[in-house]
Amino acid sequence: MIYALRHRTTYSYGAPVTFARCVLRLTPSQSASQTVLESQIAVTPQPASAQDGVGAFGEHTRTVTIDVPHETLIIEARSRVDVHAAPVGDPVNSYPWEVVRALAYESRALGPEGPAAYLYPTRRTPAAPAITDYARASFSPDRPIIAAAVHLMQRIRWDFVYDPEATTVSTPVQEVFKARRGVCQDFAHLMISSLRGLGLPAAYVSGYLRTVPPPGKPRLEGADATHAWVSIWCGPDHGWIGFDPTNAMLVQNDHIVLAVGRDYADVAPIDGIILAPGAQTLEVEVDVIPEGDPLPQPRPARAAG
Amino acid sequence: MAADTAARTRREENLEPSAAKRLSGWLRGYRPVQGIPDELFDPMGRPRADWLSFLGDFAEYPEGEFKSRFELATRHIRDTGVSYRVYGEEHERSWPLNPLPLILGQDEWRQIASGVEQRANLIEALLQNLYGDASLVSDGALPAAALTGSVDFIQAMRGVKPRGGRFLQFYAADLGRGPDGRWWVLDDRTQAPSGAGYALENRLVLSRAYPNLYNAMNVERLAGFFDGFRKGLAATADRADPRICLLTPGPLSETYFEQAHLARYLGFLLIEGDDLIARDGRAYVRTIAGLKRADVILRRVDADFIDPLELNSASHLGTPGMLDVIRAGGVSMLNMPGSGVAESKALLGFMPRLCRRLLGEELRMPNVATWWCGQPREREIVERNFDEMAIGPAFNGQGEDGALSRPRLMADLSPAERDKVRQQLRDRPGDFVGQEVVRLSTMPALRDGNLEPAPFVLRVFAAWTEDGMKIMPGGFCRTSERLDVRAISMGAEARTADVWVIGDRPVERVTLLASKEEVKVRRIMGHLPSRAADNLFWLGRYLERAEATLRLARSLCSSLMDSESAIHTAGETLTSLQQMLIDWGALDEERLGVGALESARDSLHDQDAYGSVIYLVRAARRTASTMRERLSADFWALLINLEKELVEGAQSPISEAEALQQVESALQILAALAGLAQENMNRVAGWRFLDMGRRIERGINICRMTRAFAHDEATTDDLDLLLDLADSQITYRARYLVGLALTPVRDMIMLDPFNTRSLAFQVQTLKEHLAVLPSLQADGMLEEPSRLLLPLAASVDTADAARLASEQIQGFERTLLKLSGAVADRYFLQGAHAVPTVKLAGLA
Repeated sequence: MIYALRHRTTYSYGAPVTFARCVLRLTPSQSASQTVLESQIAVTPQPASAQDGVGAFGEHTRTVTIDVPHETLIIEARSRVDVHAAPVGDPVNSYPWEVVRALAYESRALGPEGPAAYLYPTRRTPAAPAITDYARASFSPDRPIIAAAVHLMQRIRWDFVYDPEATTVSTPVQEVFKARRGVCQDFAHLMISSLRGLGLPAAYVSGYLRTVPPPGKPRLEGADATHAWVSIWCGPDHGWIGFDPTNAMLVQNDHIVLAVGRDYADVAPIDGIILAPGAQTLEVEVDVIPEGDPLPQPRPARAAG
Repeated sequence: MAADTAARTRREENLEPSAAKRLSGWLRGYRPVQGIPDELFDPMGRPRADWLSFLGDFAEYPEGEFKSRFELATRHIRDTGVSYRVYGEEHERSWPLNPLPLILGQDEWRQIASGVEQRANLIEALLQNLYGDASLVSDGALPAAALTGSVDFIQAMRGVKPRGGRFLQFYAADLGRGPDGRWWVLDDRTQAPSGAGYALENRLVLSRAYPNLYNAMNVERLAGFFDGFRKGLAATADRADPRICLLTPGPLSETYFEQAHLARYLGFLLIEGDDLIARDGRAYVRTIAGLKRADVILRRVDADFIDPLELNSASHLGTPGMLDVIRAGGVSMLNMPGSGVAESKALLGFMPRLCRRLLGEELRMPNVATWWCGQPREREIVERNFDEMAIGPAFNGQGEDGALSRPRLMADLSPAERDKVRQQLRDRPGDFVGQEVVRLSTMPALRDGNLEPAPFVLRVFAAWTEDGMKIMPGGFCRTSERLDVRAISMGAEARTADVWVIGDRPVERVTLLASKEEVKVRRIMGHLPSRAADNLFWLGRYLERAEATLRLARSLCSSLMDSESAIHTAGETLTSLQQMLIDWGALDEERLGVGALESARDSLHDQDAYGSVIYLVRAARRTASTMRERLSADFWALLINLEKELVEGAQSPISEAEALQQVESALQILAALAGLAQENMNRVAGWRFLDMGRRIERGINICRMTRAFAHDEATTDDLDLLLDLADSQITYRARYLVGLALTPVRDMIMLDPFNTRSLAFQVQTLKEHLAVLPSLQADGMLEEPSRLLLPLAASVDTADAARLASEQIQGFERTLLKLSGAVADRYFLQGAHAVPTVKLAGLA
């Protein structure tokens, strides 16, 4: 499946900002299941410097600095991506989860491709006994890892309410767990925390999800959103498999990967610091258009986040 | 205890009878713990020769004398503010030092030095491998998971070549004697080892306390080591005469004093993260003369905090983009970020094998037996010997949940706690290590005149120099007050001791003096970091404001003492004085109308009034504490003393005479501080900012006082008071024999350029300062501070005292306030009081 992607972020400041330095992780990742056909990023105002690089977890980065005073910063990424994932293997034939854990501890891969980098708690995915115990209910002894993870994913979908008002980008996962509400980022962090609590390697994935407009309604411009889900290392045979706890679905050809890391902090699409005396507001528009679908209709701008 | 009586007798025979008696008393009373190695007695129960010779000499001090010597030297520590501060505590704690050093003979020392040197080289080789091709991991010598659990394993540093070629420039090992009597490594310090500065300070105290002993015993000197260390750092830069900075987490850090002390001793610039800026692949220090390159950064900030953009985004201690600069080779940062991974306890068990593999030799110094539970076999061993083990986190900064946030002896835990540990061990085995329980070995400490064994940890430092790895001949030793100790932290009741390595040859005297050829003569100003300029400026303002408040308080007190002026400063004049104190926050508004004595006491001691003397002095002390490396020890000691006197003075109710005496004493200390600044501070930019703060504050105060006491309807009492406040009585009386009159008083206080207390003099001095400070304008145009000051100077020069209207004086005052803002904008813009750096908002 080929997708045309547009991801536009607009920052508006209360007072002129004299300096900004941003790391952009807006170029989709190139992998066995995903081919990037085209990709470009436009930044307004014109950056004083822009440097492409590869981030710590293999993601493509562009680092820009802006040193002219500005009250609006617009970052727009456009790309075309071909997603062609292999079907997920039989859940029942996967290794027992305890075996996967033992294999992960033995791993000889130090880099971001191996499971060892994703075994330990992070600031956003702390080890919390209550959350570990939540996962334990799905991970009964010797259960095949994929089956157990699917079970956990479905429970999260069932037990938690999708509620964009309930959390912010910095809400701790323990609070999400208590309130049983949140958005994709929260559910991904929660699932990762619970898996790592059992010593299993789980990664955080940022990207986009194909959406289908309501029947009979046209696709509206900018109406899609960024998305986040979980990737679990299921042993040497199955490798990394994507689990989307927000939608209780295994990741196939509807998900487009931007970057993979230990948690949100590793993969935030835009990370930056500014010299700013005042407030800032943020507006995001995303289009995920499967090739062949009609182009989206213009619509009035709305705030997202 | 069976002692080698022959050696002992020999030593005692050469001593005065009283000294011999003291020595034998000490030795007889000393009872090391059975089965635990001790420093004074060797395994056969004989006193070691160097200890015996030290204690013999020590015993020769007449009873009480060594005590008073030690106390005198310790007081020096307290007075110069040597202290460490427990994190989050408002008051700094003074820092306990043992009167006895740890004494190490040459044989002992060779063992230690060789072991530490090997270990430093081993860890360097390990880091090179891990951040290079990581072949140790890919061929199975080291599991990846034994590394990735550390926050200091930094993925972003993989494949990065350090500028200067090394990861580990400075290393420390915590040592103790194992049960076999050999030296063992308890811990590795590879991130940013602390303690070397304390070691220097300890040495200073003990060599002052017992100079004869120190010289007679051939104690190896430390200066040579630091000289090599400094040169080694400089060699990593790509230009001669590089700017070397010590990056500190700031005054709240537990070891801030030490960092300031080291920076000062080594001549490095002490900076915080926001003093730095990353730009175009290089690191720069923000100074009053613009951005200046930082070549080498000695890091005391944990790696995770050095770059909020790439690493811990919550960090306020770092510099955005710093990691990029390091990767580009634009700065040497040492130790390299990522070096801290070698502190992980998970790695301890691998060390013997790694040493054979990386260096091709056997580990010379063993470490405590440690099993990382991420491996099935090791985990089994730990589980089998569960009750005899100490179990703790395998990595720094993790395992903050539950029972195992620090190593615990399983035998000490309740059954429920133990079950919890077992569960955690099953869930996340890789988070934990099991360690053999080792009790710390002991050394003699002096308590109430007796010699007693005290458990200790010895930290030994290694630095990479141009001649290879060098070991500091000495160390930082911490002792515990409890006898049964497995691990100690400075937080609790630990003390510290100096470490004397006894040379077998007469020691060479080395100081940090460079040879003639090395040093270019230079007289130009150093580039002052903006933050330091900011702090100095405010220090000047606080001190001057404190002085002005003291003068007001003095007038209140003396009005009560002197019957004649008591009549004078009653009524309106008293009210004006009180109003003035209220206006600048020294007195609560509701206190208007209370007696003069109460007003004076309030303005001295009221801790909640932001303009009271105590408040201002504290503000000055806090400001000064952020730049201790720039202030002389005398300056700091006076400031501490001032605060102490004020606090003690507030303890009990006081009479007029006592209040006056307190004010006078405080004014004397302030005068001494001003004198020190004037006479003992180098006339580089730092002094100018301190003085500018003082001048601006004094100018503003003079204007206010003149408006209050030399207005058109002023009485002679008012004028008399004004001359007092402006410290100009004598000058006036000498010049005008006729008595007090409005115009001459105004002229003397406001316009007379020869009166050092006049507005005109302050303005003139400010002009001189601005003229000398660097300009950022390439086009030769005036900068904002000068644009404000020059017209003010012209108005003051041309004003006529007879027609000086209150509005005009108010105009001067406003210009000075604006000038203060303009100085801040121009020189401190990017400093602490500047526009904040904030994170871009994220999106879910």
